[in-house]
Amino acid sequence: MSDTDIVESLKRDLGAKALEVANPDRRRIFLKIAPADLVPAVTRLRDSYDCAYLATISGVDKGEVFEILYHFASPVASITVRTEIPRTEPRLASICAVIPGAILYEREIQEMFGITVEGIPDARRLNLPDDWPDHQYPLRKDWKFVRPTEVIPGGQS
Amino acid sequence: MLDKLARWSRIKSPWILHLNSGACNACDIEIVAALTPRFDVERFGILLKATPRHADVIIATGPVTRQIKDRIIRIYEQTPDPKFVIAVGACAMAGCVYRGAYNVMGGLDQVIPVNMYVPGCPARPDAIIDGVVKLLGKL
Amino acid sequence: MNFQIPIGPQHPALKEPISLRMTVEGEVITDADIRLGYNHRGLEKLAEDKTWVQNIYLTERICGICSHSHATCYVQGVEKLMEVMPPKRGLYIRYLVSELERVHSHLLWLGVAGHEAGFDSFFMYTWRDREIVMDLLEMISGNRVHYAINAIGGVRRDLDEGQKAKILEGIAMLRKRSEYYFEIGANEPSFVARIAGVGMLSKEQAVALCAVGPVARASDVARDVRKEDPYAVYDELEWEVSTADSCDVLGRVVVRVKELLQSYNMIEQMIKGLPDGEIVAKAPRRPKPGEALSRYEAPRGENTHYIKSNGTEKPERLKVRAPTLANYPATVVMLRKGFIADIPLIFAAIDPCICCAERAVTLVDGRSGEESIVRMSDLRRRALARPANALLKGKAVWPF
Repeated sequence: MSDTDIVESLKRDLGAKALEVANPDRRRIFLKIAPADLVPAVTRLRDSYDCAYLATISGVDKGEVFEILYHFASPVASITVRTEIPRTEPRLASICAVIPGAILYEREIQEMFGITVEGIPDARRLNLPDDWPDHQYPLRKDWKFVRPTEVIPGGQS
Repeated sequence: MLDKLARWSRIKSPWILHLNSGACNACDIEIVAALTPRFDVERFGILLKATPRHADVIIATGPVTRQIKDRIIRIYEQTPDPKFVIAVGACAMAGCVYRGAYNVMGGLDQVIPVNMYVPGCPARPDAIIDGVVKLLGKL
Repeated sequence: MNFQIPIGPQHPALKEPISLRMTVEGEVITDADIRLGYNHRGLEKLAEDKTWVQNIYLTERICGICSHSHATCYVQGVEKLMEVMPPKRGLYIRYLVSELERVHSHLLWLGVAGHEAGFDSFFMYTWRDREIVMDLLEMISGNRVHYAINAIGGVRRDLDEGQKAKILEGIAMLRKRSEYYFEIGANEPSFVARIAGVGMLSKEQAVALCAVGPVARASDVARDVRKEDPYAVYDELEWEVSTADSCDVLGRVVVRVKELLQSYNMIEQMIKGLPDGEIVAKAPRRPKPGEALSRYEAPRGENTHYIKSNGTEKPERLKVRAPTLANYPATVVMLRKGFIADIPLIFAAIDPCICCAERAVTLVDGRSGEESIVRMSDLRRRALARPANALLKGKAVWPF
């Protein structure tokens, strides 16, 4: 299937749920949906579009909303599903029931942005150290890190 | 007398513990490559040991991440005296490109005392061997 | 008795600190848990403070073995954002270094696999041959690791005739040596028996858990980014995707060996067909606002970078997903029902690049909750002392 075929077919299958379908480059398709339609859309992609492979989940802090992107890849194209959730109410549904391999990426999104993924099988931290204070989310744009002054052995500083 | 013997054996055949504190692995591969037939560090009597209890010299790489800081201190304390620490690579010296990151302490000397620095990104195996030999020369 | 064993963050063989906790009953592992984070350096946050060119050097240092793969994946994405198309000669040189890196990484891995299986002379042989590749890379780029040959819009250094001849010579010698090793592997029944049947991962599991790279290809999932999403040069060369269907560590060794031979062919084709022309195209300082998704086949699997720009000199967001992270859920499944003595081998088989992910192995006593730290070297010693497993493995055959 070529890119235009996939775009047409997505518009047909998802109908009103597909808020925006874009094809900016060869083999790159970007699909925007509302957070409530996430799990049905992912199931549809897995079953009919051969997208059982999830590359990763990225998050972008856009100020008032968090934009979460799910990057899927089929043998003919890379389909990215994007959804936006408000910063004041950051909740998302988990897709681990559909794609078991998504668990590590969802854990990372949780700890880096402070998003609550509902229904996640394992909610522990992934990358941050054990003694990391709570409610500090490094990848938010308003989180700044001030480096403590270094002690240089030998005296000069 | 026994002291002199111990000192001679330490200089002639130092046993090394290799410690990775969150590095990108390039310096570590160069350290292991120093064992391979091209550079062959074992002909000098240098042996790569698995445990801190047997080591004379700790060779450490990597900018120290917060998670591993306590373990490094523990390993340093487990190594019996006299011990020497060599910081290999720009990351262990001052953090290399990772200076300023939130999870990185900045350099090995922020955590344990260091005796010898070997620069490079990554440090070549020849440079590492040179560093070890110079350290032994000062003993 | 249920024990949980931790294999602590420091372990001697190569390697980066990683923490694995495994619940064991006797010798059989019932559950495994991976603790990442020892190697987490906060790179994505750091990348937002550096300019586009500085980020090339930052992404290179994500990993020391596959450094060019991260830098190339990043540069591919940035070139799409800046709408710059590098000239053909530049692309050929860039992917020539990629294939050389794949050769060096697979030789390194073969050595590590041999070391974990007890075959230390194999380790020394392959690393000695790896030095040939390191010399070639040093000749092309100036450094043994972290080549920094990428520039936005092309490459930084050119190849001349003498260098080309040296590369062909080096590859011919490597090919001869590699064929000799594979003969050894085929005729060494204890090596084959040691690795057959270990670390099983069925095809359905590999697909459901999103495994990548040789781990997936050894379970007969024929996905390779170079075929699916060919960037530049790969659709002009003749090569095939290497797969195996035995779903175990033996399959993974076979896949990597086949990939080595394919890479030698590709390098020769690239050198002989190197087009003339410029090596770099001029790139603007600021790209237009937009986003790009870049995929690349690193020696360990698929590397994905997502880059977003807002029109300034620094990226808005750089998301990196390294291949070893994608193989973790698959590793946990592989470890279940396995033996403790097989832990080093199963880990080595996924070709861990812990800088992309970190671990140590801790075995925790399931009943009492006590932790005991077992060193990898102890595990390896136990692994070698364990008598070879009966009939099935005695008859295992090198399928190559």
